[in-house]
Amino acid sequence: MPQIILKNITKRFGSAVAVDNLNLVIDDREFLTLLGPSGCGKTTTLRMIAGLETPTEGDIYIDDVCVFSAERGIDISPDKRNVGFLFQNYALWPHMTVYKNIAFGLENMKWDKERIHARVYELLEMLRIEEYHDRYPAELSGGQQQRVAIARTLATGPKILFMDEPLSNLDAKLRMEMRTELKRLHAETDSTFVYVTHDQLEAMTLSTNICLLRNGLLQQYAPPLEVYHTPSNVFVADFVGSPNINMIEVSGESVNLDEVKLSNEQVRMLFVPTSSSFSITKGQKLFLGIRPECIAITEEGPLSGEIYSTLPSGMETIVKIDVDGLLLTCVVFGGVDFAMGEQVNISFTSEHIVLFDQATERNIATGKLM
Amino acid sequence: MNYTNRFKSFIKKPHNVILVSLAIILSYLTIVPMITIILDTFTVHQSELMRVKGAAVGDFTLYHWTKVLFSSASRKIFYEPFLNTMVVSFGTCFIAITLGGMMAWLVTRTNLRFKGILSTLFIFPYIMPSWTLAMAWLNFFQNSLVGGSPGIFTALTGIETANWFAYGPFPIIVVLGLHYAPFAYILIGGILRNMDANLEEAALILKASRAKIMRKITIPIVLPAMLSTFLLVFSSAMSAFAVPAFLGTSVRYQVLTTQMYRTLNGLNPGYGYIMALLMIIIGVFILGINHHIVGSRKSFTTITGKSSNISLINLRGMTTPLSYLLLILISMVCIVPLFSFALESFIMEPGNYSFDNFTTLFWIGSGSPEIANGEPGILRNPSIFTGLWNSLRLSVLVAFISGSMGILAGYAIVKKKNSRLSAFVNNLAFFPYLMPSMAFGAIYLSMFAVRRGFIPPLYGSFALLVLVGAVKYLPFASRASVGAMHQLSNEIEEAAAIQGIGWGKRMLRIIIPIQKASFLSGYLLPFISCMRELSLFILLVTPSTRILTTMLFQYNEKGWSQYANAINLLIVLFVVLSNTAVNRLTGASIDKGIGGQ
Repeated sequence: MPQIILKNITKRFGSAVAVDNLNLVIDDREFLTLLGPSGCGKTTTLRMIAGLETPTEGDIYIDDVCVFSAERGIDISPDKRNVGFLFQNYALWPHMTVYKNIAFGLENMKWDKERIHARVYELLEMLRIEEYHDRYPAELSGGQQQRVAIARTLATGPKILFMDEPLSNLDAKLRMEMRTELKRLHAETDSTFVYVTHDQLEAMTLSTNICLLRNGLLQQYAPPLEVYHTPSNVFVADFVGSPNINMIEVSGESVNLDEVKLSNEQVRMLFVPTSSSFSITKGQKLFLGIRPECIAITEEGPLSGEIYSTLPSGMETIVKIDVDGLLLTCVVFGGVDFAMGEQVNISFTSEHIVLFDQATERNIATGKLM
Repeated sequence: MNYTNRFKSFIKKPHNVILVSLAIILSYLTIVPMITIILDTFTVHQSELMRVKGAAVGDFTLYHWTKVLFSSASRKIFYEPFLNTMVVSFGTCFIAITLGGMMAWLVTRTNLRFKGILSTLFIFPYIMPSWTLAMAWLNFFQNSLVGGSPGIFTALTGIETANWFAYGPFPIIVVLGLHYAPFAYILIGGILRNMDANLEEAALILKASRAKIMRKITIPIVLPAMLSTFLLVFSSAMSAFAVPAFLGTSVRYQVLTTQMYRTLNGLNPGYGYIMALLMIIIGVFILGINHHIVGSRKSFTTITGKSSNISLINLRGMTTPLSYLLLILISMVCIVPLFSFALESFIMEPGNYSFDNFTTLFWIGSGSPEIANGEPGILRNPSIFTGLWNSLRLSVLVAFISGSMGILAGYAIVKKKNSRLSAFVNNLAFFPYLMPSMAFGAIYLSMFAVRRGFIPPLYGSFALLVLVGAVKYLPFASRASVGAMHQLSNEIEEAAAIQGIGWGKRMLRIIIPIQKASFLSGYLLPFISCMRELSLFILLVTPSTRILTTMLFQYNEKGWSQYANAINLLIVLFVVLSNTAVNRLTGASIDKGIGGQ
């Protein structure tokens, strides 16, 4: 069972550190997403696993075979790592037809003609691009090129597939469609996918695990919903989720057994943790992270404010509410519209409200507000 | 809208005015000469009266054509030089593309050392005048078999070089190959640099070997560029005059250009015009093929990628030795020739390199009657200064005219792209590139020998040199400018136009400053090319309008090689210094102008 292990991987370009002491275990048949803002080292990480880039330090194992070790001087070339790679710009060979592009890897494996023919058509059919088999890449649209690139990568049946932002060059509608297909492909091919993206929505919707990087440092490695609900720090909380999480500056004080009294100019509330216990010093500066969908507009509630703006999109409405100068974003399901300046009450309905320490920006606890 | 109004709105746009004026001017300066030259191949000229029995000057005759193509003398007059031209051109292409391509691959794809300096030095032979290496070759390898003194090589080793090694096709091909290798290096290197490295990595992941990637991916993708290079080098080699003249004449190895020079300068201008015409036809044919290749559906000009991701091939143990080897070889081609010019220009009796034979006579001597007709040393020789002054003002004027015309042409062509007028002007502006310099000179000679409308007879005038230079080098400027304008989005100008800023100000304050480097290359390239041009002007100069290069050629013909070497050193230093100065000051460079990065 192919498992990918990264041990203490560091990559420096000159004095710049692209990836800093990264440890990862990617299990078989996982759909792992390397997520982060541009320049965070995600593409470099992917290219290092594939063997296209050489790490400065550390070890990499694929399927229990050490493919790279800085210490032992092992560096197995990409062609011997049995992986597939889907490039951001597809990297289709402009001088070969669609058929030739897909068949290249198979010809290289010395398959006989009929077998290649059958395999190529199987893929063309699977990706619904049969009619383009004798076209050149320059004669295809972006979406078609993308499908050809996928077909070429899948042709040799690699057990591990690397993808570097494969959807970023597509328009929004097509991207949506391709997401569905990628997810189906993952299930059908039984392979491990390692996927690079800066689009948090893509990471959320596709992956079984997200590895979130920032400036070459691992921020959190967990399944999407865990990343969403219990972000390990302020950066993760802010990066994942759209519209953005509400971050409210408060100061806290432990009361009762494990409850925290939170207060600032506008808010006075009690935080009841659902995670393990903790303690804070009196007056400790904290961030309260509340996802937009955790705020409900209700008949009665602990807070009231006036409507600042509404953005109804049909399926949902994003509402910004001004609570005495504190701007909160909330999402209401359905096409509700409010008048600007309308007075509303709000309440907090979820158990996924997160408390961060302001100094370290670390996650202290999750819980609910009373 | 009626026609008057339509015309008014058409003529209101500056780019339309530019296109129409250029179409008219360039038609006159390129198409009319073509017709003149065709007519000339059927006309009896003054010097041919003796041959064509019973004819008067200007009579229609088929004598030239039958004589050149279908007579017992045709083999000597035309077919042999033609065959030699083909041999030289193909050989040159082979050497230029092999060397340039290998160098390009090494620099863009491997971890070779000293890339910066190697790259600079490698381009050097292209910046130097083409005959520089030919003269250096003679300085080193000439022998006493065909008359004359032995070269430095013989002086050092005592080995007499064989004739085939010293003169004729072999050295011509080697020298032209070295001269045009930078051209191939710049064009192929540009493609390799722009080529997405992912294309090669994608094949690597699919388990293709390095050799297979090279064969199936890299080479096919750079093939159109290589073919393009091949065609451009081929047409350049075909029209090369100085190198075959220097290296071939003493063993009577004639190519079309040298034959053309003989006939046009001699008794049979009609023959020369036929050769010129045939060379132009081959040139146009080559351009046609080139357009076809570049425009085909496998074309990949739009390839872009994260080129920063290129993982360089590790040459491992080979890196250091190979880097040093290349450094030594390239230095030998670039720097050693200059020393040989300096050395030769200080020697009293050619071929004798002993110390007491050294003299400064040819630099600062006042001239003595027993040596070279009493010609004074070049630093106190008034005719050299006339030549230098003529060369300089000619180059500056030519650069100014063709550079400025090029900017306007590029602007208008891109502004109105996809229109028939724009395509027509684009082709017209490129057409002079295809005409062999010698033939181009010949056409202007024939065309402006007499009064043409309001233009007085120009033969022997400096204006004729300026005119022919400006038209001949227009393609350099217009190509640099078309390229620069393509990179500039139309909105940039429109944003200014919408604020009511006039056209002149838009050009001067917005468009030209943004693409300064490319436009300057459009001035630099004609300037440098003109400084070192020989074959374009050689038929047109008269004693009062002679320029450095033609003087060099004449000194060499007379066998006063010391003067020739000294002048050559002057030209090379001048060209290299001005290139470096412009490059330092503005960032424009000769390699940018011919499609490099």
